[in-house]
Amino acid sequence: MRKLILATVVVLALALTMVGLASANGGPHGGYTATTDACAGCHRAHTAIGPRLLVRSSTYDLCISCHGSAGAGANTNVEDGYYLSSRDDPPGGADGNVGAANTPDNAPLLGGGFQYYQGITVTSSHDPTGTVLAAWGNAVDRGTTADLSEGLSCASCHDPHGSPNYRIIKATVNGVAVSVDQVDEGAAKDYDTEQWGAGMSNICAACHVAYHETGADVGHDTTNQAYGGGFTHRVDMPWNGDALTDPLIGMGTNNPETVGFGGYTLPLAESGTADRVVCMTCHLPHGTSAQMTGFADPAFDPSGPQGPIPAGDSSLLRLDNRGVCEVCHQK
Amino acid sequence: MSNIDAGNQVSEHDLSLIEEEERAEKRRRWLLLLLLLLLALLACVLLLFIRYLRQPEPLPEMIPLPVDVNYPPHYLFSIYGVDKPVGVAYSLRNDRIYVAETGGKRLVKIFDRDGNPLGSFAPPRTMPGERSPVYLAVDGAGRVFVTDRLQHAIFVYDENGTFLDTILGPDLTLSEYVLKHVNNLRPDATFAYNQFEHVVYYKSPGEPERTLPTPEPAMWAPLGIRFDRTGRLLFTDVRQERNAVYLISADAFSPSSWRNFDPPVISFGSTGQGDGQFLFPNSAVADSQGRIYVTDGNNGRISVWDEKGQFLFHFGGGSGEGALSLPRGAAIDERDRLYVVDAVGQNVKVYDVSGPEPDFLFAFGDWGMGDGQFNYPNDIALDRYGRLYIADRENNRIQVWSY
Ligand code: HEC
Ligand code: HEC
Ligand code: HEC
Ligand code: HEC
Ligand code: HEC
Ligand code: HEC
Repeated sequence: MRKLILATVVVLALALTMVGLASANGGPHGGYTATTDACAGCHRAHTAIGPRLLVRSSTYDLCISCHGSAGAGANTNVEDGYYLSSRDDPPGGADGNVGAANTPDNAPLLGGGFQYYQGITVTSSHDPTGTVLAAWGNAVDRGTTADLSEGLSCASCHDPHGSPNYRIIKATVNGVAVSVDQVDEGAAKDYDTEQWGAGMSNICAACHVAYHETGADVGHDTTNQAYGGGFTHRVDMPWNGDALTDPLIGMGTNNPETVGFGGYTLPLAESGTADRVVCMTCHLPHGTSAQMTGFADPAFDPSGPQGPIPAGDSSLLRLDNRGVCEVCHQK
Repeated sequence: MSNIDAGNQVSEHDLSLIEEEERAEKRRRWLLLLLLLLLALLACVLLLFIRYLRQPEPLPEMIPLPVDVNYPPHYLFSIYGVDKPVGVAYSLRNDRIYVAETGGKRLVKIFDRDGNPLGSFAPPRTMPGERSPVYLAVDGAGRVFVTDRLQHAIFVYDENGTFLDTILGPDLTLSEYVLKHVNNLRPDATFAYNQFEHVVYYKSPGEPERTLPTPEPAMWAPLGIRFDRTGRLLFTDVRQERNAVYLISADAFSPSSWRNFDPPVISFGSTGQGDGQFLFPNSAVADSQGRIYVTDGNNGRISVWDEKGQFLFHFGGGSGEGALSLPRGAAIDERDRLYVVDAVGQNVKVYDVSGPEPDFLFAFGDWGMGDGQFNYPNDIALDRYGRLYIADRENNRIQVWSY
């Protein structure tokens, strides 16, 4: 009886919060109406007690049932970081399906992959399997005590019930309000072009608080050190700095997003006339297979400020070694 | 007084002696009975052993299959040594079990029906991050057909896992493609195509390996795959533009037709939530009347079609008895009982579809890690002895159940 009451209350509460959530994400996430049965795909339909029981096992296992390499329930395969789709969609996605318009078959996903990326085993990733870990920059050094009250999971960053944010990123991450605009490039969704706007650093900074340095010249300022004793790169500034006072940094006029360097480009957060550098300009949120060798390999200086980082770990960076730096600074 | 007392004492003593004797007698009788029972048991075991020697089959099969009682099967044992299995198939030809893994090296693993490993295989020239075997089907000749979501193809192997050919689209095989480009290709030439390498390899014995440009990509994304009783191939296509089911006639798979693959195909369905539409159909199976049942994954229901591909009705949606959460692999038995693996429901739901309307019979399994419990199960295969093999993905095992 208590279960029945609880279940009813829970469903009622959710039904109420559902109202008003943005929905245009195509999957079973959000956009529920009273008549759809969209909850059942993730919550157990049970015949005996109450209308719905929640799944009891890990969130990761649930998401991977659709978003895994089997692609049995979604085209975004986040295990391998590939978009699995058809190849014959008419330009503009006349069929109205998510992601169909422009994303070709096996396009690498924007978020990276959790097991493989571009066919290669990942060299670093967020561990979304629910293990309780320490988020560096959140008043802790890496590898020390766990600081997030709950283990990291897909639902730490995404709201499976839908959200008004880009890629259903949660409205509240780790207790911090986060708003990430979806910058529409045409009506159709596209899984191979970043469509994020301002606010993208906020999601990362919700956990890695100390990395969110936005003032000019923070890289010089010893009062602005992240945990572990390192300096951090400024973020949220226009890609060419605020009118580039320091010629030493060698930015020139190369927009990293459009011009790039050596065949590589880096995404910026779309923002008015001057697009901005955010955490995800250099990092991937899921996982990366970038290779770290020589100076870039954490094993090069195991006693460095980074603390205990496994050899070859790539800190979720988009490019091999310090390729990300070269794209902008071209030294 | 004392005499009487003494007499009393004696008689009491006698009594207790008699009682003791009686008890001993009883004990003896019990022991005898026990001995007889043990002997009878030994005789039974010996008989069974003799029978087993003459016809070496595991014992559970000696229980006759239920004919008209509908009760759930029971858990027998599990086959371990598989990493995140999502697909399972049974070969009538040699009683083997084939399992597709999405974890580890992403192999297809071969077991005998008691779970002894017999080998493994994968598409030639692919790395684990470039392949993703999902569902499998075995034809009458024992050939194994495996859908691969990353390779967008159906790979065909012989019963031991030797690569035979790749179906690249509803009307193109790899051997056909190579033959079109190479004159006088020797029948013992080998070939391979990994979609991520953007080149087709072929090699005749004694010659260096050569390459060909890649074929025009087919407009398909094969997922679920099954042969029906008549040898027709049923597969589901989950490409964005058109979620559909395809039916290929049996004669398409005779060895001669491989190199000129253009079989008659029936296809039905489209993408969406309405009648006759699918969202990620995961398998299609046919009953004895030729009706086709499609597990319509993300729509949480089964849709039913006639043999010509006309939509009839759907069931299993909603929240009543037998309602489905996330239906995936399915199988149908001789008595037209439809078995549907419900990945989020964490069980297998069984419907009697022999009549005009499907009847929900029972479900078996629950969420958990113990024997007979599931953790995101994904597929099911039936053998001819009344055993059921269920791919229990997050528990990294194949569960074997039996009637
Ligand atoms: C895409 C999968 C998915 C769908 C569809 C879905 N849920 Fe959930 N739901 C989840 C997950 C995962 C959690 C656990 C969230 C977490 O760990 O923070 C959850 C949690 C909940 C909770 C607990 C409170 C909370 O938000 O953590 C309720 C209540 C709930 N869901 C109700 C519903 C209802 C009602 C529907 C249908 C309108 C629905 N869900 C549809 C995946 C889903
Ligand atoms: C650290 C936060 C974080 C975690 C944890 C996380 N995601 Fe994401 N995810 C993101 C961000 C940010 C994006 C947007 C990437 C972009 O567009 O550049 C994204 C994008 C996606 C997309 C769209 C496809 C793509 O890669 O662009 C899917 C699907 C997705 N995530 C699913 C998942 C699933 C499933 C999990 C758990 C296995 C998960 N995410 C865990 C932050 C996260
Ligand atoms: C029943 C299958 C199913 C399950 C379970 C599921 N998803 Fe999805 N999800 C989809 C589909 C379908 C889409 C549409 C895009 C595609 O085809 O991949 C989608 C899209 C998404 C997107 C991209 C949204 C956008 O705005 O483009 C994210 C992020 C995502 N899912 C996260 C999750 C997370 C996190 C979980 C686990 C809590 C989860 N999904 C569970 C089917 C599923
Ligand atoms: C919900 C909290 C949370 C959010 C949001 C989050 N992280 Fe993390 N991050 C963690 C935790 C916990 C770890 C350490 C454990 C691990 O490796 O998963 C981590 C690890 C990392 C690492 C080191 C990985 C390695 O193995 O070298 C990097 C780099 C990182 N995060 C960057 C980001 C970026 C960029 C974002 C925004 C897209 C982000 N994080 C968002 C919690 C978070
Ligand atoms: C997206 C373009 C971009 C990338 C990628 C980039 N930088 Fe910068 N960098 C800038 C801009 C813009 C400034 C000027 C910041 C300011 O106004 O203080 C800057 C400033 C600096 C400075 C001077 C710091 C200061 O406070 O004056 C250093 C040192 C530096 N970057 C190093 C690096 C390194 C190392 C990397 C690779 C990890 C890197 N940068 C990657 C754009 C970039
Ligand atoms: C200009 C490129 C760049 C930007 C922007 C950037 N990072 Fe990093 N990040 C790096 C590099 C390079 C590393 C590798 C470790 C190192 O050398 O410090 C790194 C490492 C990390 C780590 C792993 C621990 C460590 O320090 O080694 C975390 C966590 C992290 N970044 C979080 C963030 C967050 C959060 C943001 C946004 C507020 C961000 N980063 C913005 C380049 C960048």
